[in-house]
This record gives sequence, C-alpha cells and structure tokens, in this order.
Amino acid sequence: MTAATTTPEAAVGVLPRADGSAKYSHAGYTVTASVNGPIEAQRRDEHAYEAHVDVTVRPAAGVGATRERHLESILQSSLSQIILVKNFPRSVIQIVLQIEDSPENDYVNTKLVQASLNFAIMPALIQTAVLALLSAAVPMRATATATAVATVRQGGATKTIVDPSPREVETAQSVHVFAFTSHDELLLAESEGDFTVKEWDDSYETAKAICCRPEPTKEGIAMVLDDETTAGPDMRHFLRLAMETKVASDLYWK
Amino acid sequence: MPREAEPSLSERQFVLQALQENLRLDGRELDQYRPLELSFGDQYGVADVTFGRTRVLAKASAEVTVPYADRPLDGIFNIATELSPMASPAFEVNRPTETEILLSRLLEKTVRRSGALDTESLCLVAGQKCWSVRVDVHVLSHDGNLIDAACLAVVAALRHFRKPDTSIEGGVLTVYTAAEREAVPLSWLHSPFCVTWSFFGDEGETAVLDATRLEEQVRVASCTVSLNKHGEICQIAKLGGVPVDAVALLQCTAVALTKVKEFSELVDKKLAEDVKKRDKGGFMAELSAENER
Repeated sequence: MTAATTTPEAAVGVLPRADGSAKYSHAGYTVTASVNGPIEAQRRDEHAYEAHVDVTVRPAAGVGATRERHLESILQSSLSQIILVKNFPRSVIQIVLQIEDSPENDYVNTKLVQASLNFAIMPALIQTAVLALLSAAVPMRATATATAVATVRQGGATKTIVDPSPREVETAQSVHVFAFTSHDELLLAESEGDFTVKEWDDSYETAKAICCRPEPTKEGIAMVLDDETTAGPDMRHFLRLAMETKVASDLYWK
Repeated sequence: MPREAEPSLSERQFVLQALQENLRLDGRELDQYRPLELSFGDQYGVADVTFGRTRVLAKASAEVTVPYADRPLDGIFNIATELSPMASPAFEVNRPTETEILLSRLLEKTVRRSGALDTESLCLVAGQKCWSVRVDVHVLSHDGNLIDAACLAVVAALRHFRKPDTSIEGGVLTVYTAAEREAVPLSWLHSPFCVTWSFFGDEGETAVLDATRLEEQVRVASCTVSLNKHGEICQIAKLGGVPVDAVALLQCTAVALTKVKEFSELVDKKLAEDVKKRDKGGFMAELSAENER
C-alpha cells in the first residue's frame, strides 16, 4: 500500500455528546477528536487572562508516555496560537485526540506496552484537532493545514516523499512536519534526523505547495498550477470541502 | 473538570412515570436494545461497537514478554479501560472514577476470570517467554450501558485479533513479522457477554434492558449478568441499590440468555463477513500458517 496515493477523508460531528468532534483518516492514520469548550477550568489550569488549551493524545494500544506528552505540548502551543484564547479567560478548551489506526510496518514487530507514536502522525493529529475545533465553533484566528515530508538520499540525489509510510520514515534521512495557517503563515515546523538547509528549504516548499495551494480562481492560472503541483493532496481545499459538506447537510431542511 | 449535570426533578419524574406505564423515552420495549452495530477495522483486533449513541472502540494487541514468576506456564492477558474526557468532560485523565473502576472490574470478571482466553496457549518458553495480550477499551461516546457495549467490543476484538506466528527451533524462538508469515488467531474457548438490567420503582419492580444515560441516572438498582450462549453464567453482579426479588432475577437471567444468543450470532456473522472481505483466495490461502485443530 502506498500511503501517498490515498486521499484524506473526514467526517465532522461524529460524536453526539461532545461539543465538537471529527474523524479524519489519511495515509493509514485514523484519528478521532472531540472538543469540549469553553468549559470551567480547574484551579491549577486557570489563567486569569486567557483560556487554557488542554490537549490529550491517546494511543490506540498501550498507555501514553513521554512521546505522547511531547506531542501534546507541541500541539498545545500550536493550537493556542490559532484559537482566540483571550476571548475566554479562566476557562478550558479541552481537545482529546484518540488514535484509532496507524499504519504498521510489516517488517518489524512492534512493542506495544509502551506505545510508540511516530513523528509522521502529527499532521493527522493537527488536522483532526482543527476539524473538531471548527465543529465545536470555537473562535479561531485562522484554520491550519499540516503535512509530513520525508527526505530520502539515494545515491547523490535527494528525494522528498510526501506523507511517508512507517517503513519510509525508518529509512528516511530526515522527516519534517509543517503546519501552515490559512494566511499562508508557518505555524509549526518540526524536524527529525540529518539534513542540510537546502533540504529543509526543499521540504518547506513541498509542504507549502500541499498546505497552501491557492484557490483556483481563473481557469488559466488553475491549469498552470495543476501541472506544477500535482504531487500530494490539496489540504486547504480538502478542509474547506469537509466543512462545506457538513454545513450543507446541517442547513438542509427537510 | 465540571461535574456531570444531574437530571432535573421534572425530568426525573417524567422518566420514572413513563417507565411505570411501561413506556420509554425512545419508544423501545423494556427489554429491547438500541440499534446495535459492530464493525471491524482494517487491522486485526479492532472492534467498534455502537449501541444507539454509546460508542466503544476496543483494540487488541500482543507482544512477547517474560511471564510472571508465580505463573511460569501462563501468558499474560490484560484489559485496560481508561475513560477519557472524550466520553464526558467529567472524566479526567489519570483519575479513575467509580464508573471506570466498576467497568474494568466487570470486564475482568467476565472475560478474564471466566477463562474465555486460554492463557496457557500464550506461553512460548516456560518461565522465560510468553505472549502478553492486551485489550484497550476506548469509550468514544457515553450514553449509558457502557458495560454491555464494552464487553461486546472486547470479545469481538479478541476474536478478530491475530497474533504473529512463532516457531521454536533448537531453543531459539522466532517471531515472524506479518511480511514473513500470516498471523494466527488466539485460542478462544467461549464468548461471554454482559447483559445489564436496570431497576426502577420503589421495590425495583420494573426491569429495563440497555438503559440510556438518563435512565441510568434515575435508576434505583442495576444488575449485570454475564453468560455465554450455552447459558453458562460467568458472574452476576448486583452492587448496592434496592433489593430485588429473587424470582425476578431468575426471570432476568432467562431473558439475558436470549440476548446473549443474539450477540453471539451477531459477532459470528460479522466475523464471517470480515473473513470473506479479507479472503484473497488462491495462493494466499495456501500460504496461511494457520493449522486446523
């Protein structure tokens, strides 16, 4: 199964009891998120001037450990940037990300008691969180799109792989995760492995092409762009489409 | 985190009075389950169970570890139930509530202590290597009757699960990856299911199956019966609440048996469908490492 060929899929508002929820699957990863908020904060989480964004990442099997806490802290700081936290002082916006499925490496037997999340799951987590936040109607400065890019050195040449599979992550020289806001600003850049500035720049450009593809307004321009950037899915368009579908079905009155 | 909102007095009265007249808010019969759905994931050992608005996901997994010193011939089998704030904001991470403890204890008694999974078959090298099978129960949405849903999910996940194939040659244990050999199913002995009754009225005279959250909040007692399709009772738990007539309880277990047979049929049917879906036929079937017992 080549992960890069799959198109992302999303369902918004899947859980009846949460304020907002979303299920997202792409490149073998399936994540369900619920958002509750703004709700009353506990004493220790309370900020006097802004809302506390509480992110919980739960692995499909095994107990969450330091890796999950690390992912949580990255997600928390990124999402606090786009949520209008100043609007809700002394409250909590609670985001729970439950991983349902992650692609397995057929060539390695995994250790499970200590759940090991890999780096490449981060785009799926961010994307699901954003969809769930939109579903919960939490005010945000911008939406965000994210993608993972792996750099593989073959001979002298370097190759970038979009949405790498676990096997590709293992063999890759470096893996980068990028998230962009809907204003084309870089929200998150995390890298792992060995890379040069040139390679990082290439990965950045690849990721930006996926996350920040402009809306095709004029036909002529769209045609040119299509030729250039056929690699990888168009995340921004996907996010828009997922929400549009949801709104259309919600507003449909029988 | 905020506390769960209690139903208001009028809401409570409304539900109770309706039940006295043998009516339920969602129009079900007293001994009728909500629409039940079971689906399996792309991977082995993932089961998703939906009872109306209650949704539980169970995932089974296995790895090779060292057996406990006092049980060198047994494998390890664990069920982990941790309720996340996804089910309700009242649940907190790392702080188990009463619901969570009762749920994990009941699942433990039903599935583990009833010997549904043959733990001796999980032993690889006595005292040195064994399989550790673990089921993680994730409650995605909590709208009452978590116990029945979770138990069904756990049983379905374990029956769907395949562990990597192994071989021992000259004292060397080899665990084959999925690319080398097709994985093998667990040795499963019987499938127990939970059926939870809720009692209403001053003396618990109205017995109701598959209570929703609202009904659970206003009930006076509950009783969970675990049994398999042969009618062998694994456990009966009635934790507190008003006393219930013994004859009524016998009646409950009889009805529970018919429900368990339905669950059994459903799981069998879904598993067969799943096998058909995965069946690549021809050469792949011949390569399977599974032998008939």
